[in-house]
Amino acid sequence: MPPKTSEAQEAYFKKLEAEFLHCREIATAARRKGYDPSLEVEIPSATDLADRVEVIMGVPGLAAHIRKCEEKMSREEASLQVAADIAEGLVGKFKDEEEAVQCAVRTAVAVLTEGVVAAPLEGISAVKLAKNDDGTEYIKVYFAGPIRSAGGTAEALAVLAADYVRRKTGRAPYKIRDVEVERFVEEIMLYKSIAHLQYTPTDEEIRLIVRNCPVCIDGEPTEQEEVQGYRNLERVETNRVRGGIALVIAEGIILKAPKVKKHVDKLKFDGWEWLDKIIAGSKPAGGENKEEEKKIKPKDKFLADLIAGRPVFGHPSRAGGFRLRYGRSRNTGFATAGIHPASMTIMDDFIATGTQLKVERPGKAAAMVPVDSLEGPTVRLFNGDVVRISDEKTALKVRPDVSQILDNGEIIINYGDFLENNHTFVPSPYVEEWWIQDLEEKTKDKVEVNSPEEAFAVSEKYGVPLHPKYTYMWMDLTTDDVVYLARYISASGMVENGELRLPVEQRSKSLLEILLIPQKVRDNTVILSAEDTYILCRCLGLNPDLSMKNPDAYAGLDSHAWKAVSALCGVTVMDRAPARIGARMGRPEKSKLREMKPPVHVLFPVGEAGGMRRSLQDASAYSKSMTDRIGEIEVEVGRRKCPDCGKMTYMVACECGGHTIPVYGCPDCGISGIEGDCPKCHKPTTPNVKQKIDVKGLYAAALKRVGERDNFEVLKGVQGLISKEKTPEPLEKGILRAKHEVFVFKDGTIRYDMSDVPLTHFIPREIGLSVEKARELGYEKDTYGAPLESPEQVCELRVQDIILSHDASNYLLKVCAFLDDELEKYYGLPRYYNVHEEQDLIGHLVIGLAPHTSAGVLGRIIGFVSSSAGYAHPFFHAAKRRNCDGDEDCVMMLMDGLLNFSLSYLPDRRGGKMDAPLVLSMRIDPKEIDKESHNIDVMARYPKEFYLATREFKAPKDVEKIMDLVSKRLGTPEQYEGFKFTHGTSDIAAGPANSAYKTLGSMEDKLKAQLELGRRLRAVDEKDVAERVINSHFLPDLIGNLRAFSTQQMRCVKCGERYRRPPLTGTCPRCGGGRVILTVHEGAVTKYMDVSLAIAKEYGVPSYTIQRLELLSLSIKSLFENDKSKQTGLADFM
Amino acid sequence: MPILPMSGMEIVNKLASRGFMVEPEALELLKAKSSRDLERLLDGMDASAFMVTVEDVRRILSSEEVIRASVSGSSDRSHGSTVPPSQATPAYRSPAKPRQIQPVASAGEVRVLNDITNNSTCIGDYDEFVGYFRYRYTKLGDMIRSRVSSRPIESLKKGGRRSSSGDGKSEVAVIGMVSDLRQTSGGHRMIELEDPTGSINVLIMKDSDIFESPLILDEVIGVSGQLSGDGGLLIAKSLVYPDVPYTNIPRRSSEPSIAALISDVHVGSDTFLEDDWMKFLDWVNGDCPTDRDADLVSRLKYIIVAGDLVDGIGIYPGQEKELHILDVYDQYRKAAEYFSMIPKHIQIVISPGNHDAVRQAEPQPALSREVQDMFKQGNVTFVGNPSAVEIEGVRVMIYHGRSIDDLVSNLPGASYSRPELAMAELLKRRHLSPIYGGRVMIAPEEKDHFIIDPIPEIIHSGHVHTVGVCRHRGVILANSGTWQGQTEFQKRMNIQPDPARIPLVDLNTGEVSIVGFRE
Repeated sequence: MPPKTSEAQEAYFKKLEAEFLHCREIATAARRKGYDPSLEVEIPSATDLADRVEVIMGVPGLAAHIRKCEEKMSREEASLQVAADIAEGLVGKFKDEEEAVQCAVRTAVAVLTEGVVAAPLEGISAVKLAKNDDGTEYIKVYFAGPIRSAGGTAEALAVLAADYVRRKTGRAPYKIRDVEVERFVEEIMLYKSIAHLQYTPTDEEIRLIVRNCPVCIDGEPTEQEEVQGYRNLERVETNRVRGGIALVIAEGIILKAPKVKKHVDKLKFDGWEWLDKIIAGSKPAGGENKEEEKKIKPKDKFLADLIAGRPVFGHPSRAGGFRLRYGRSRNTGFATAGIHPASMTIMDDFIATGTQLKVERPGKAAAMVPVDSLEGPTVRLFNGDVVRISDEKTALKVRPDVSQILDNGEIIINYGDFLENNHTFVPSPYVEEWWIQDLEEKTKDKVEVNSPEEAFAVSEKYGVPLHPKYTYMWMDLTTDDVVYLARYISASGMVENGELRLPVEQRSKSLLEILLIPQKVRDNTVILSAEDTYILCRCLGLNPDLSMKNPDAYAGLDSHAWKAVSALCGVTVMDRAPARIGARMGRPEKSKLREMKPPVHVLFPVGEAGGMRRSLQDASAYSKSMTDRIGEIEVEVGRRKCPDCGKMTYMVACECGGHTIPVYGCPDCGISGIEGDCPKCHKPTTPNVKQKIDVKGLYAAALKRVGERDNFEVLKGVQGLISKEKTPEPLEKGILRAKHEVFVFKDGTIRYDMSDVPLTHFIPREIGLSVEKARELGYEKDTYGAPLESPEQVCELRVQDIILSHDASNYLLKVCAFLDDELEKYYGLPRYYNVHEEQDLIGHLVIGLAPHTSAGVLGRIIGFVSSSAGYAHPFFHAAKRRNCDGDEDCVMMLMDGLLNFSLSYLPDRRGGKMDAPLVLSMRIDPKEIDKESHNIDVMARYPKEFYLATREFKAPKDVEKIMDLVSKRLGTPEQYEGFKFTHGTSDIAAGPANSAYKTLGSMEDKLKAQLELGRRLRAVDEKDVAERVINSHFLPDLIGNLRAFSTQQMRCVKCGERYRRPPLTGTCPRCGGGRVILTVHEGAVTKYMDVSLAIAKEYGVPSYTIQRLELLSLSIKSLFENDKSKQTGLADFM
Repeated sequence: MPILPMSGMEIVNKLASRGFMVEPEALELLKAKSSRDLERLLDGMDASAFMVTVEDVRRILSSEEVIRASVSGSSDRSHGSTVPPSQATPAYRSPAKPRQIQPVASAGEVRVLNDITNNSTCIGDYDEFVGYFRYRYTKLGDMIRSRVSSRPIESLKKGGRRSSSGDGKSEVAVIGMVSDLRQTSGGHRMIELEDPTGSINVLIMKDSDIFESPLILDEVIGVSGQLSGDGGLLIAKSLVYPDVPYTNIPRRSSEPSIAALISDVHVGSDTFLEDDWMKFLDWVNGDCPTDRDADLVSRLKYIIVAGDLVDGIGIYPGQEKELHILDVYDQYRKAAEYFSMIPKHIQIVISPGNHDAVRQAEPQPALSREVQDMFKQGNVTFVGNPSAVEIEGVRVMIYHGRSIDDLVSNLPGASYSRPELAMAELLKRRHLSPIYGGRVMIAPEEKDHFIIDPIPEIIHSGHVHTVGVCRHRGVILANSGTWQGQTEFQKRMNIQPDPARIPLVDLNTGEVSIVGFRE
């Protein structure tokens, strides 16, 4: 059933599809020339989830079957049903039962993961049948590392699916042996010590699960480490640690036990009763307990593993940190939070658009974007002035004079993120959008508040709290402070022209600063503006002449300062900052072309002959010895045969114009022309053999063919091919890539990486889009339904439209030029893109693709911003199974994917199919994308009930029914359109373009800047920062490198061969005399030693830490200093 | 390994698999022995011998008897049904009045034979790494050279090519360092063997007698066998380890002195068993309940500590949560206080381990001057790790035992519960820590301090917190347990420590007994 869409939406999709088909036609024509491994375009398009699963699993007819099942049941149930049907032989044809069962389990996972991730193929390496001790047959599922990308639910349901298949096919449950149980316990604990697990299970939990789980959870070895206790077990093939079992048991079955239970109950399975014990035993800590005292509990988990150079912006819930504001701007939500661009600037540019922050709540991390409708930071200058900053320019101007950042400003977090993380609400501050609703309850009149006098008057007249704009941070004061301040001002202050003048005195000055009242200090006198003087006097119960209205009122005030103030001024004064969000910098934002290491222009092997640069030019000038031909190298490539002329070759295109096919054979027995296993020795056959290649001749011919001269600096190939049939790319492609300075990725495509940030509405002006062009793209109306006439109007973003960085456009222009050259000079077809400047790229199609996934999403470029991040609709990100908490992924030009991608280039190893566009989703169906996106709220204003609920620490679910969410619009045209946002922003690219973390040079500089910023932030304890950096970054680095030095491998500088230990010959035996060197140098070991000791002392970290550093320093000395030569040191001559 | 008697056929097969025939009388003797005894016998046999004789059985197994009698309860805790009399656990019962024990004689001098302390020349450059391994190759190779007539590896390839047309049957031998070990797809074993001239692949066929021979990376072995046609592959027929020659006659003290072997005290840890440790100190001071203890204590003249005197700081992440004393120097101060309670006539040797405040890379120098100065009583000798000392003519090699970790994960059959077996494998290789790149961090010193040469009478290790003693060709191998209870880490790894039990070696008879101090 096609998704319900409006006409305009349908037209949009049709437009994209038409353009896609146009591109595919061109690419197909090019492919038919036979220069590529396949004569067809190798990225099949898919219209829905079922299509994608069919493509990934390669089982014809699967899509139709899935659609049929999905009509009647939920996704989860459908996945199980499809699996059972496959195992029972209703769909697909298989070699044997084992293969059918394997396909069944994989398909279940594929359906569960929306047919996007590579987990079904890569994460389940095999499903096998094996025998219990009583002779019955059980099912073994082999999990591999990439199962992680499927997520906990799919991991757990994979096991359930296997059990479902087991029942349907009448197989026995797995009867585990005692030694195997203990093996699991040992292995998972060992895995935990090597790698990260979200949850550490207890021994008993592991035993309970593996003893009772009806299918055997197995895995292939993922780590080098071996178990030490339960080794060489008969039914466990490896002694090495199998990461997959740890992930599935700990993060899958245990953490998702309630979800699994739900399905087990529904399906009425027996043999899973033990899940109850797991659920009862391990209540994972999800959100705070509602019943506990209604107070915000600071959480410091986000500070763990602090890294040098990435500053802390606020310790947990500390005053001065980011003030929470509920709402969603058009560029926030979906694990993205907004702050004022001036806040970004004032914090020394450490935060830019797309920079990841690890946050205290609601989730673990969030990408940051500029939202200038929020309140900016408040700072104190060296001269004592306190300034509220509400624009970037001011921030830049005062930045050098800031002595303390008193307040970071607001951070906007949407309701949906609290819902998604199931995080109990923390109280909302009293904000304008709430105040208005309070007022609306009292009057229908239009009420304006433009001065403090009016604010108090309105409050008195209508009985509403004081307008937030005129409310200070009273909650950060004690009632004592309030009384003190009132008395001090009354006694020592004087008013001149309405402005309060107060002699500088430490406590009162500090109290005024905590309240965040703008102030000037001149001649040792604090001066407040007339407005602030009025508010302060009212709030403190003072008359305009500073006399006390009622001197007796100060005794017996409520212990909460804001209540005390309410009593003094006669109107209700609400909290302005009941919740502050601690934060520190996570990953910096990214916007960078994708290069392999080392960078590659063409997937063509040059072996040793290319030198360290893998240069084709070097290879074509290479000769092994005087007698060998120049430019002839020996590398392993796949043997191919031309069906037309019968010639053997290694190239895809035969000289005669034929399209060659690989020839398999057994390398040992010399038998040729058989696929599968060798009939003689039963080893798998392969087309790959060492062959002599005349690089020089090939290179010259290729240059000639595309009409280029060898005038680029270097053309880089690869050392060897790692694909199954070792198919080399045509050199012509490499030549044109080198000419245009673009680099190829392992699958033949050219990628550009960017941090993901969400956007639901854009302003044409901010993305460099003219009104005419916008209308051309189909944006005829703004979000309010008015015709688009001005570049300042706000438009609702179509779900597959994206906005890239200027740096991306520079690179993509080169990519397009390369593609045009390729079409024209290599394939002999007309140029397609013909782009010369950024604007020309607008309207062109791209493929968005995320790491660990195998399905690309079709996108359209509509504009560019100066930020180093990629703005796209949250649905676009969700279709790639990304959220925006600091994730990054890539785009490639559509034509590039269609022309140059080939399965034949993909590495033939675990994970090789990840990060490759095995299938392309043509249109986004919100139902079939990551469910996280369904929790995005799309309203223009949160209702008052919401704000009240936050004050009661309710769970987000409690107010779900009064909120407008994507989930409520699914299946209707409104799932694509009519989204709203609560807070606007004038420029989605405001603030610094790049984080200071990226622009600062050395680690020392970054560290210095980090600690310096910490010193200035009121919400940060810089001593704690220094200690954490030493403990979580420097000490592990020092210890790790010291260990690495003393157990290090060696490397040959000539051929790059690595040795586990130095060869006894001294020089490199492989290349015959190459100089061998250490891979870990003294400098790498000692680089953080001095700086660690220096900051340890400067910031006064605990002596335990200092002692650890001193001991390490001694170790380093002992290792790198000769005792003997020390004795002839200076002391001997004195 | 189960300790069960074996059938005659099993014994014959087992011996045959290692290339030995057996005399009928010898077989009768062996039938009464366990499979473990059989392993011991095989370990003790000269690889060049052909027949296992009654003499062999008596000679090799009787020398083990003494040890077995005193150790069986400890090494096989699971089978520890009978406690031999000499073990007499627990030695300590109640804090009775100390006996007045007169030392039989005062201790002799502790002579340091080999020690890295103040001799470290390492500055960490590549040539030193090469030199370090070449030194090992030369020294260990020399031990084998007399037993095989080896050729440089590089010469084989040339020779191989030439001989491929002619005589392909002649046997060649090489001495090399193992640089890689792997299993071929056909189930055979492939070794890459290296000498300073080049390297060669050595194939051990799965049906060969030596297929089960334990091999580890970076050990030096001799291999003889047949060269393949192109000279690129050596098909192994026999392997030679440096090992201890059979002719090794251990030296003995003329006095009936006793050396107590301890290690892994872990002062400062919150799992340090202070009560048990104090019982030990009381015992040393004559608080002994039995005559037998009184006799032992009166002859006790040496206490040798094989590392981990204190728990240290920052050894593993989060250690501060498991420390009782957070300052490492305070830990040593406390340790010094304990050691000052040991009677002055007893000589103490202290060598560091991976928890001590010296460099982690081995060989480790002795504890720093600052720490040494805390031990004021003048009867303590500080040495490095590893090191060799001589007491009353008896040579003791002290090595903390980090390499046992690598052996346990690389050698089938090696386990933490039987550390002495791992030590025997090390002794066969005449090297305390052959495997490079694993858990042991090395400093590339000029000399390879891990080489076991000359052959000591005792090798003393710790580190793994379990007690185990055995004897290999006359050399006593002892791991001396710990004074620390089960740590969080061990709990997680399911490692059961064997605390507060120590081996005592009679330097005159070579007899070993184990005394326990745990309730």
